[in-house]
Amino acid sequence: MSALYLRRRITNAAAMTLSMLATLVGLAFLAWILWETLRQGIGALDLKLFTKVTAYGEDGGLLNSMVGSLIINFIGIAIATPIGVLAGTWLAEYADRTRLGESIRFLNDILLSAPSIVMGLFVYTIIVLPSTALTHGSTTFSGFAGGVALALIALPVIVRTTDEMLRLVPSTLREAALSLGVPQWKLTLQILIRAARSGIITGVLLALARISGETAPLLFTAFGNNYMALNPIDKMSSLPQIIYQYANDPGEAMHALAWAGAFVVTMFVLLLSLASRLILFRTKVSHD
Amino acid sequence: MTDSALAMSSAPETAAATVAPKLAVRDLHFYYDGFQALKGINMDIPEKQVTAIIGPSGCGKSTLLRVFNRIYAIYPKLEAKGRILLDDEDILGPGYSLNRLRSKVGMVFQKPVPFPMTIFENVAYGIRHHEKLSKADMEKRVEQALRSAALWDEVKDKLKQNALGLSGGQQQRLCIARAIALKPEVLLLDEPTSALDPIATGRIEQLVEELKSQFTIVIVTHNMQQAARVSDLTAFMYLGELIEFDRTERIFTKPGKKQTEDYITGRFG
Repeated sequence: MSALYLRRRITNAAAMTLSMLATLVGLAFLAWILWETLRQGIGALDLKLFTKVTAYGEDGGLLNSMVGSLIINFIGIAIATPIGVLAGTWLAEYADRTRLGESIRFLNDILLSAPSIVMGLFVYTIIVLPSTALTHGSTTFSGFAGGVALALIALPVIVRTTDEMLRLVPSTLREAALSLGVPQWKLTLQILIRAARSGIITGVLLALARISGETAPLLFTAFGNNYMALNPIDKMSSLPQIIYQYANDPGEAMHALAWAGAFVVTMFVLLLSLASRLILFRTKVSHD
Repeated sequence: MTDSALAMSSAPETAAATVAPKLAVRDLHFYYDGFQALKGINMDIPEKQVTAIIGPSGCGKSTLLRVFNRIYAIYPKLEAKGRILLDDEDILGPGYSLNRLRSKVGMVFQKPVPFPMTIFENVAYGIRHHEKLSKADMEKRVEQALRSAALWDEVKDKLKQNALGLSGGQQQRLCIARAIALKPEVLLLDEPTSALDPIATGRIEQLVEELKSQFTIVIVTHNMQQAARVSDLTAFMYLGELIEFDRTERIFTKPGKKQTEDYITGRFG
């Protein structure tokens, strides 16, 4: 065996070891986080978590926070999905390879990495402050404002995935439809969006997973509420916000509740990720 | 008459001279963002015959085909100059609507591309855009198209299934059914068998033979044996020019140009 071949084998083994170590370090921390959440969270799981509101403090539960999270996330996704899917479609189908399209794609990427607290402050300025002034203080922070802040975070994710999924659709499919005389709008709505459907749904689910863990944008918008609030114009509690609040509390019982909340959020995000994987996997199989 | 005389100058003995051409190409130039891909093409494509276009990669044969239904126009920076007369009307002229052109000139592509819907919907989709048919008429029309494409017997019991579940050869015949369902006058086939196995290829070739009684067919192919098997006329292209265009048997037995002979005998390309 030549020296050259031996050297290559050594280099290969070294590179392999290093990359495996790097992977292990990343995975180890992920496993640690999940394990810690599971251990502490399951220990704190209790029926009262789902039946009592946070007003009872350490004897209470997290019902109002869970309901609040659901409402705020729903508002966020309901606003971001139509705008994001349409904008992504425009980018991929109407503005691809144009200067305007490229600029907007670039701006969207900036929005994608904008710090979430900036979104919170922005919505605070454009919704919370004006509504306070208009209603002489009777409406201030609201679940709706929280939803808008989360929509701004979900929006670029949905734009990006829609854009990418549509651009993955082979151009031959476009040519085939156009060669039947079908106009662009029909092609886009009836064929391309359908072909990219599972990818787009996955994007929406990932955006939902992303926003359901956001805390910072909710502090200045939904604020928090110790009682059950169902009307979006009221202050509203949410899981990330209550985790933040309880984790800062000196009481052990509050920490346990925070862990339970963290466990619920983690499970929710995990299920969403699994669901989106499943959707993508199922379509891949049926395509082959 | 001057137009015809011009077209015939390169191939005076084509049978095409005896009947009015279905498609007449007149001094056609084509540019990809400044690069000239077609240089002054003139040819007369006769009605209800199979015309094959052969030539090495990059010779412009697919480009020429893609001008016939103006599908190239969906990409920016591509430009065609010259005239293409479909029944004496210039399809490159400003007054010719794309909708009309594409209902008259159908196209089948290299890779089978069924739409992500059921087999039935794949065929019905295009029809629905051009005509309003009752449910019964639509079913009849779809069946007719699938029969013409020699696919009916294989799919009649699973019309409601997703078309992506068909084999490659079946998918390509579905694409042919989809194109002929619009009752076009011209059918463009862009290397329709290059992604298929020999058995599926044989079926498509047989189908081309059957379809030529109803349609004017233009087929681009890499495969010279295929051109010899299926076509009545053959055009040989090289570096954006039409070198020779004549009866197929003549091209393959007694080509008029040295370049054609070199290509068909495998000396280059």
